[in-house]
Amino acid sequence: MLSRIEHWGPRLFTVALVALLALTAWQWRAGAPISANLLELVPSDTPDLLEQRAEKIIAEPLNRELVVLISFPDRQKALRQTAVVGLRWQQEKLFEKVQWDVNYDLAQLRQQLLDSRLALLDSAGRQLLEQDPRAYVERRVQDLFDPFHSQGLLSTEQDWLGLGARIEKSLPHFHNVQVDLSGALLAERDGKTWALLRARTTGDAFDGNLPLAVENLVAQARADIEAQGGELLASSGLLYSAHGQRQATSEISFMGSISSVGALLLMLLAFRRMRVLTALLPAAIGVLAGLTATVAVFGTIHVLTLVLGASLIGVAIDYPLHLLSKSWTLQPWNSWKALRATFLGLTLGLATNVIGYLALAFTPFPALSQVAIFSSAGLLGSYLCAVCLLPALLGKVQIVPWAKPYGLAERLLDWRRRVLRRIGTPWLLLLFLLFCAAGVLQLQHKDDLRQWASTPPALLQQSQAISQIIGFQPTSQFYLVRGKDEEQLLQRQQVLGERLDKLVADGKLKSYMALSQLVAPASEQASLRDSLGRVPAASEALQALGVSREQVQAEVRQLQALPTRNIEQSLAGSLGEPWRSLWLGEAGNGEVAGLVSLQGLSNTELLAAQADGLPGVKLVDRLGQLNRLFAATQISAAELKLASCLLIFALLCLPFGPRGAARVLAVSLLAALASLASLGWLGQPLTLFSLFGLLLVTAIGVDYAIIMRERVGGAATSLLGTLLSALTTWLSFGLLALSSTPAVSNFGLTISIGLAFSFLLSPWAGEHDSHTDKDLVQ
Amino acid sequence: MKRFFALLLTVVLAPLAHAFDLDQLAAQLAKPAVVRGPFIQEKHLRALPKPLTSTGQFVLSRDLGLLWLLQSPLQQDYRIDGNGIAKRTPQGWQPVPQQNASAQQNRLFLAVLKGDSSGLRQDFELSLSGEASAWTLDLVPRSLLLKQIFTAIQISGGEQVSRIELRETQGDSTVLRLTDSHADSQLSDTDRHAFAD
Repeated sequence: MLSRIEHWGPRLFTVALVALLALTAWQWRAGAPISANLLELVPSDTPDLLEQRAEKIIAEPLNRELVVLISFPDRQKALRQTAVVGLRWQQEKLFEKVQWDVNYDLAQLRQQLLDSRLALLDSAGRQLLEQDPRAYVERRVQDLFDPFHSQGLLSTEQDWLGLGARIEKSLPHFHNVQVDLSGALLAERDGKTWALLRARTTGDAFDGNLPLAVENLVAQARADIEAQGGELLASSGLLYSAHGQRQATSEISFMGSISSVGALLLMLLAFRRMRVLTALLPAAIGVLAGLTATVAVFGTIHVLTLVLGASLIGVAIDYPLHLLSKSWTLQPWNSWKALRATFLGLTLGLATNVIGYLALAFTPFPALSQVAIFSSAGLLGSYLCAVCLLPALLGKVQIVPWAKPYGLAERLLDWRRRVLRRIGTPWLLLLFLLFCAAGVLQLQHKDDLRQWASTPPALLQQSQAISQIIGFQPTSQFYLVRGKDEEQLLQRQQVLGERLDKLVADGKLKSYMALSQLVAPASEQASLRDSLGRVPAASEALQALGVSREQVQAEVRQLQALPTRNIEQSLAGSLGEPWRSLWLGEAGNGEVAGLVSLQGLSNTELLAAQADGLPGVKLVDRLGQLNRLFAATQISAAELKLASCLLIFALLCLPFGPRGAARVLAVSLLAALASLASLGWLGQPLTLFSLFGLLLVTAIGVDYAIIMRERVGGAATSLLGTLLSALTTWLSFGLLALSSTPAVSNFGLTISIGLAFSFLLSPWAGEHDSHTDKDLVQ
Repeated sequence: MKRFFALLLTVVLAPLAHAFDLDQLAAQLAKPAVVRGPFIQEKHLRALPKPLTSTGQFVLSRDLGLLWLLQSPLQQDYRIDGNGIAKRTPQGWQPVPQQNASAQQNRLFLAVLKGDSSGLRQDFELSLSGEASAWTLDLVPRSLLLKQIFTAIQISGGEQVSRIELRETQGDSTVLRLTDSHADSQLSDTDRHAFAD
């Protein structure tokens, strides 16, 4: 069979490689299919389609809006410069809308206000007017004299009863944002005046290069503004996304190049032939295959997967290293002969690694599925390259490795034998287990989605400063309210709104937006229409000003003639704009639904409690759900671990028998245990990622045990092979530990510690000197 | 109405460096540290035979802001300063919440009041006529937003501002008379107290 590989392998593999390259090129035809959307990494299987739609609506401003504040000591300069930036950005195709001033069409607003006064009057005003029309009119007259009571858009004679003025007052606003005389948007805080500019992008934060382009524009504007002595703050999900992409790219190139260069130097040092550098090819092809497979399955590849995937180089290079390490005993060197001798070990190694990685694919987290697909495909590609192409590439070159390491390996093994003679394996095991038990007891568990992304302090500070300055803090939690019709929906929102009003009054919630704030249920519009009839008789206070009762009657008749408005109609025009996104309309099975959005949240449990006893009202708290899911996933992680171990055991039984398989597996399981204990000793938290790191430790550690058990070419040669591959793997996973993304760093740390133990324990995989080293020349 | 105070203050505080007479006017109005006196405000509404009239006293401090003490037809004290508009209640000064839409005008003028002197010239076409003892300043809005609210604003006076008229696009107008105001070098204790808390 192998001689056929010798003939067909290189040819077939070259064809496959060309196909792979073509596929990759096609996938990248429209830019890098890279995503930084954290939500793509977490399960999105909310069974409720409506909830998914609602989540999208709530997340949209976070992912598409850019808020910029500009300040100069000279306020006019701030306004001018903001306009300059705004005009420049308007020319950009990236933005759908750029706003730095308001130019309301007041005539249109006036008309809308006139036409929907009955429907839009706030509930306090409605109540007063219905229960005590006289007090309502007296309040109105006081307001007319109040020098600081806004006169409103409507002239007084159009609005004797002041319904329009009241509606205007209840329109929502950014708490601290003011409109300058020129229409510019300003916010003041701590004696500084900031001009506000908002931009909305055409795509969202996870569209290819958009975040980087936006980041670039912001950086340019910042440089401009700062060069002139001003200050610029910017906040947007897009900027976080761009940071994530850039961070990932730089980490990948940093880690990728360090581990490649490290592997390269290691190989040159050990094998001293330029030709052995072709052994890097399997690693490169592995990464390519992983990338392409992931994009093929998921459509895009997440930056987190890329960073984790960069560590694949260290694992993928193991195959050529195993092969080459046989040169210490296989002399004269023959690549195909070496392959024949190591073929079983390589294949077993591939199988166990892939089992380990694929176990990740069965978790509910797309993040891990991506890593699983990436790594499995990558390892397969790398294996195929090592088996089919590498021997041909190495050709007839004579590899005479550096002799020193071989002597060192022999001395190490010798030393181990002497230690074992003095202290028996059972005692060592006991010590080892004590170390593990003490470490595991110190473990702390912690999981949070925030560990999945690195949050740069500079961006975070700006976001916080902006939300303080403009007084706007959107939250990702919201209520989803359903009703059998609009009437019921609005009533349910009213009841919820009353509860939320109490939270706002107690300072536990900054504010909220509900459709019920905008429009009254049809039944209440009708009862308001009825009770308006009693107003003229109670309008003495207006008559005292010279407004005749006929004038009041005429206005009442006008108001009564206004049609009942439904939600859709009320949302039209600029008056309804702030609420428009909260209306979901038809929700299936004859229901309608709407959202209640929240701002400046303090306590999630409190929010959940507000929905208690309210039918049709549900708090949607994605972040909280996820964090609960993390906890649940740990159990499935343990199950997966068990399943993958059983599978690996079954596989190993084939060549080694049950006893040997158990021994090989035990070694790698002990290494995983030691890694777990080390996390405890180091005070590092146990996270979902470290758990899955442990899964991999078992899978990769089995490799070392297999090599040490097979002992192709002798114990010392095998130890050297193991050491070489362990070094390159450490290099790549150890570098992950330096990542600025807490989850990635935790993952890297767990694996590199685990692999160190795997290496140390691997000699125990062999039976007590009862073996005979396999002869390479056979 | 609130537009008047702000404009009044603006005229007093703003260094109107446009032409020589504007400079003079600005200097003249900026001279007294405190101006106080009675006011009469008439709101002329197209649909009403007689104007809505209210009267009271005002105290304008060059440095601290404005006290507006409404006495008739109802009693109510207001204060405009760097923190916005406040209303006196039995519990002390309560800020008047500044709402959106057209009520933004409150904020607009407060912004002017807070020292945005150049803002006035940016947003209004200014023309001054008369002499130091009897002058008239006409303001015509430039910005689209303002044009939808005012047609024109006219301020006149001598030593001090004595009359402000504001004509709205909707056809209503408001006249504010400050017929008997006089300059003072310092605030009374009660006034200082009113500004302090």
